[in-house]
This record gives sequence, C-alpha cells and structure tokens, in this order.
Amino acid sequence: MNTQVQRVIIVGGGTAGWLSACLLAAKRPELAITLVEAPDIPTIGVGEGTWPTMRASLAAIGIVEAEFLACCDASFKQGSRFDGWVTGAANDSYLHPFTPPPPCAPEALVAAWAARGETQALPYADTMTPQAAAVARDLAPRQAAMPGYAGALNYAYHLDAGKFAALLMRHATERLGVQHIAARVTDVIKEADGNLAALITDSAGTIPGDLFIDCSGLAGLLIGAHCGVGWVDRSDVLFNDRALAVQVPVLPGSGIASATIATAHEAGWIWDIGLPARRGIGCIYASRFMDDDAARAVLLRYVEQAVPGADVAALAPRKLAFPTGHREEFWHGNCVAVGLSAGFLEPLEASAIVMIELSLQALCANFPRSRAAMPIHAARFNALFRYRWDRIVEFLKLHYLPSQRQEPYWLAQRDPAHVPPRLAALMELWRDQPPSAWDFPQAHEIFPAESHAYVLYGMGFAPPPYAGDIAEAQARLDEVAYRARALASALPTNRALLPQAPAQPVLAQPVLAQTVLESLT
Amino acid sequence: MSQHVIVDSVSHRDLRVLDGASAALGDNVMAALATPHEFRALQAFYPIVFRRDLASGQVSALALFGFENGENLYLKGEHWDAPCKPLAHAVQPFLIGRSQDADMPGQVHIDLDHPRVTQAGERGVRLFDEDGRASPLLENAAQMLGDLDGAYRESGSFFAALERYDLLEPFTLEVPLVDGSKHTLVGFLAINEDKLRALGGGEMGDLHREGHLMPLFMAMASVSQFAGLVARRNARISGT
Repeated sequence: MNTQVQRVIIVGGGTAGWLSACLLAAKRPELAITLVEAPDIPTIGVGEGTWPTMRASLAAIGIVEAEFLACCDASFKQGSRFDGWVTGAANDSYLHPFTPPPPCAPEALVAAWAARGETQALPYADTMTPQAAAVARDLAPRQAAMPGYAGALNYAYHLDAGKFAALLMRHATERLGVQHIAARVTDVIKEADGNLAALITDSAGTIPGDLFIDCSGLAGLLIGAHCGVGWVDRSDVLFNDRALAVQVPVLPGSGIASATIATAHEAGWIWDIGLPARRGIGCIYASRFMDDDAARAVLLRYVEQAVPGADVAALAPRKLAFPTGHREEFWHGNCVAVGLSAGFLEPLEASAIVMIELSLQALCANFPRSRAAMPIHAARFNALFRYRWDRIVEFLKLHYLPSQRQEPYWLAQRDPAHVPPRLAALMELWRDQPPSAWDFPQAHEIFPAESHAYVLYGMGFAPPPYAGDIAEAQARLDEVAYRARALASALPTNRALLPQAPAQPVLAQPVLAQTVLESLT
Repeated sequence: MSQHVIVDSVSHRDLRVLDGASAALGDNVMAALATPHEFRALQAFYPIVFRRDLASGQVSALALFGFENGENLYLKGEHWDAPCKPLAHAVQPFLIGRSQDADMPGQVHIDLDHPRVTQAGERGVRLFDEDGRASPLLENAAQMLGDLDGAYRESGSFFAALERYDLLEPFTLEVPLVDGSKHTLVGFLAINEDKLRALGGGEMGDLHREGHLMPLFMAMASVSQFAGLVARRNARISGT
C-alpha cells in the first residue's frame, strides 16, 4: 500500500471547497488535488464577509486584487459596526475596527482614553485608531495609487459569495491544476482501519484518495455520515438559529459602507453588507424568542429605513435554519472537515471564511507526508481547532454581555447559566484590568485582546482604575487623532475607488500575480 | 496661466490637492527658488546657483534639477528621487499672499489653475473637513509658507552681503554627455572662491556674525552635485 499522501480529494465546491483547493494547490504543488462537486447543489452563500487574512490568502494563491474586486463585486470591509446592542437607543453604536490600537501597554491606553477631557472625549474605537474616522465617512482604506493588497488601514472584504466561488474555481482549474469532477458522491469505500479509501459517485465511477477534505457544508457528508464524528451543540450559549436573507439593489452612486453593520433587534440582530451594486441584508433570530413572521417584519422595516429607494414589496426573503455548534473532531482518520461541515455559528464576526483559511493554513504547514504521521497531525489539529471554536463562541457571546437591553431574549443571553465559565471569569477579571495578551496566550489567537477591548469599551464597560503614568499613551492617542484627520482628508470614498460596474471576468497574467506574491512575502 | 486666490473654508470646501510627483502635476521644471536657510539641506542633493534679475538687479538662489527648461532629472515617472525639495516647490500649489501692509502676516493663497488643484472627483487630499476645519495638508502648507516667508525675508541681507564683498561671478558649465554632445549652462552666478579666500579676518568675522558664512559654504559645497546631475542626465540618455 502506498503510504505517501499524494492524492487529496475535496468533496464539495462553494467557498470552502474552492478556497481549500486553491490554497492547498498553491502551497503544496506536489499534490494531486481533485474536487468532486455535485452539479445540482446550490451553495449556501451567506459567508460574504472576510477577515484581513484574505488579502494574504488571495496573494498566496496568485489572484491579483483588481481582478478579485471586479469579479466578486467586492468592497472593502474595515470592521463591524454594532448598532443598538447596548440600549437600542438612536445613538447606540460602536465599532470593532480591524486596525489595532497604537503600540502601548493596554492598561495605560485604556486609562488615557478614560482620562481624555471633554473637548477630546470620543468613543473608544475613535480614540484608538484612525480607522473609525474613515469608516464613519464610507472611505476606502487606501488611495488609488497604492498597490493591490496594501492599505493605509487594515482591511478585509465584503463579497458576492457565489461569484467568489466561481472565481476560485476558475483559478483552481485553469491556473493551479486542480481537477474538477462534477458528480454526486453516493457512498465511500473504507479501508480495514476505517480510513477512507475512495468515493463512489453516480457518474464518475470510483475516486480513490489518500486524504479527504469534507467541504460538503452542513451535510457533513464524510465527517458526519461516513466517519460518524458527532456534533457539539453550542446553542446553550448562542441562541440564534434562524436567518431571513435578502439582497437589495442600491441606487447608483450611493455610499458603500466600510463596515458590516449589525443592528440589534428584540430577539437577535440584522446584518447589512454593502457591495457596489447591492446590499446583502439578513435578520438573525432565535426561534425560541421570535417567530418567522415577526422576523420578516423586523427585516423589512430595517430595509425600508436603511436602504434609500428600496422596493420592499418586491423582496422575497430566503429563510435558513442553522444549527449552532461544531464537530467533536475536525480531523478524523484521513478526513478533514473544512467550512460548515466543521461547524457553524451565527455570522456575527464573519468567522466562517477565516476558519477555512486557518484550517488550510494549519493543514498546508503540517501536511501529513505519510500515513504514519496522520494521527499525530490529527490530534494537534483537533486540539488547535477545538480551542479556536471555543474562543469564537466566547467572543461572540461577549457581544451580548455588556448589553442593558431588557427584552426576554437579551435577559436570557446575559443569564449566567448560559455564559461559558472561562468567559465569566474573564469578565470578572476585566473589572480590575483591561483585556491583555495574558488572557489570550496562544501564538495564533483567533480574536486578540484588542478585539475584546473594542467590544467591551465600545459597549460602555467601565475602564478599570489605573495609577500608572499615561503620558506616553496620551502622546500615542494624539498621534492617532492627527492621523485620523489626515486620512479623512486624503482617502477616497469606497464608491470612488471600487470598480464602477460589475466587470467581466478578466484573467490577469499569472506573471503579474507572481509579482504581487513576491512583494508580500 | 495662474489664478491666485485666498484660501477660505467656504469657497474651497470641496477643493482637493493632488499629492505625489509627476510631470503632469507641474514637476517638470529645471529649478526652484532656494532660500539660504535651506542651503544646508539642499546642498546634499542639488547644485545651488545664483541668478540676477536683469530688470530689478535682485539676486536670488536656485536649486537646479536639470540643464534645460522643463527638464527635471530628479523626476522618475511618479517618483521624485531625492528626500527633500526646496520649500518654494514643495509648497505648490499654495503661495503667500500679502495685503497692502507688508508687516501683516501673509495669507495662504492657492493657484486654482495649478495642475495639482482639482475641483471635481475624489482624487487628492481635501483642504477642509466637513466642519470647515483645515486638514493636516492645509495646516502643513500654512506652516511651510510661514517658514518660507521667514526664510525669504532673511535672505535679503545674505544676498546684500554677497554683493557687498563682490562674491558672485558668472560661470559657464560645459557638460560633456555620453552621446558625445555637450551641454552648456550659462546665465547663472556662483561664489567666487578666490575673492572669498582673499577676505580679511574682520570681513569674515562680520559674515560669520551675521549668519552668512554657513550658507555661503553650503552653496560652494553644492557645486559638487553637478557631477550627480550630469550622471542623471547621462543615465537618461543611455536609458538606464
């Protein structure tokens, strides 16, 4: 038996499948990669927000940014704005930006922010980063003359998930040598030790492989149905289990928001993702607290108020029911679950696509050369990703805890019985000291202390007393204020910088992509 | 053509200034005014020469960028290949405006016909924010204009001292180029080093006390930058 791992079979297209194929093919060109995709299964396509990591991922797989922006109707995302999460009042809004605070001890920075006099008093994010000024004005993160993937401010993307998967598919098959088989997987053949040996398909025969990546979405075709890996339910912590999604065309020339806007409602929240030609808007809710009709009314009311010129009567919201949780294991035998097959949480901080990137980053850097090493890699992968899912669950839950909203849903969200003990302990600790790297000690934390501080202090959590010197921190914050003014006057709007109309796909020269890659590495 | 107006936050609320360097932005010039105050910084990159205005007889100093009109050998596409520029050039499209009373502080003017000024579109840097407050770019321009104004006012006594001791002489530079051609630079003045050397201790002491000695030597030192300028010209000829 061949003990070298060379043939990688990916089951399922969509963002997870094609992004996995591209990353693996770009970083492990020695592998033979095949993607098997049932021709008639539509992708879910709700993951339309990325993290800044996507810039390095796209550069690594050799797609130039201009091509990506044009092909995916993409826009720049510089963070998430949370409206109505504290009290629901009209001015209740805070930002979780991607650009971190200036380099300085967190306790001194937080104290310096709290000590700012009335004339300088600003929300936490506005004080900590010039990004808030750019986001408030719908400005792009960079000027037109800057090269692709470079920014004056840290940024990610909003994108059309269907078009993104199509671009990645084209790139994978035409430039990276990934084999694409359109066939439905009907069964698998297993080896004596329980590892997967081959897929049996309805129209492409038997497809043997050494390593299988399950990107089949919530179905979990391989990891669940064939490997029997169980599901860890997290709905005791995160209550939302339904979404109603619409796509709303926007008026030509209207502003394109630089942040995902998440607006709280009585039993959940609404996402609002601005692309050049449309806004993707969805109502997330907990079926235990809100029925579908009420959610529909909340959604349509939001669209009516938030999107000028929207024809609300013409909208046909699409309903999704989703589980909240993740697999017990993400790597079982020779099967790795990536994407929704690994787990699903409400899309509050756009963790879906970044978890695909992180999974492939771990897999590419620790690819099992031999079957013998597989269990060692699997154990490490499982430990790492269990840690990450736990951290995401806690970080999402954090968004509910400092709220003062009084609806039953919000009271239940804050009920100590539904707060993970580790998070509860941190909340206690943060009364005395701000979030710091001591709270998040891993080398590759998914949400750093800075993100927790943006949420906590954005929501009005009291900064702890501090007796130390804040002169240096004050100087750093003065620099931020100056830079905010400079960037606000110098950056173009998203509308001005982004491609004017959805463009025809342009395949850039691979040599150009290579240049971008080199300039980033 | 130029159209100079006082900058104000109402008329110029949406005005933008294009930054960066390029011929299209008006950087294709062979020289810019240099004040003695700047000589120390400029001499590290540019030759500094003097010129006498034929009509007024007034002397001024220039940092040279090229050998003929419109030639800027420091401009490489959209990159200015030197870390500093003469203030008078760097501050464009802004300039100092004066009221009748010469002792009143100068005002920030802008040349609306300068290629860096744009009225429409979203390229460039705004002069004012939404609240009508000056942007850092405009603040910086005002600062530079103030510096330039001060330096310019002080330059009179420097040029007067050069005249007093007759330290300027016409010079002609023959520049042999790699393609066999020659460039001749005429019409400029340089420090007459023999006359400077012949000055007595008392006269040198006066120049030193008045702060003129340092810029004088900086101007002399800058002459060695002609070699660099010739090399830039040759590089452009041979396309490297």
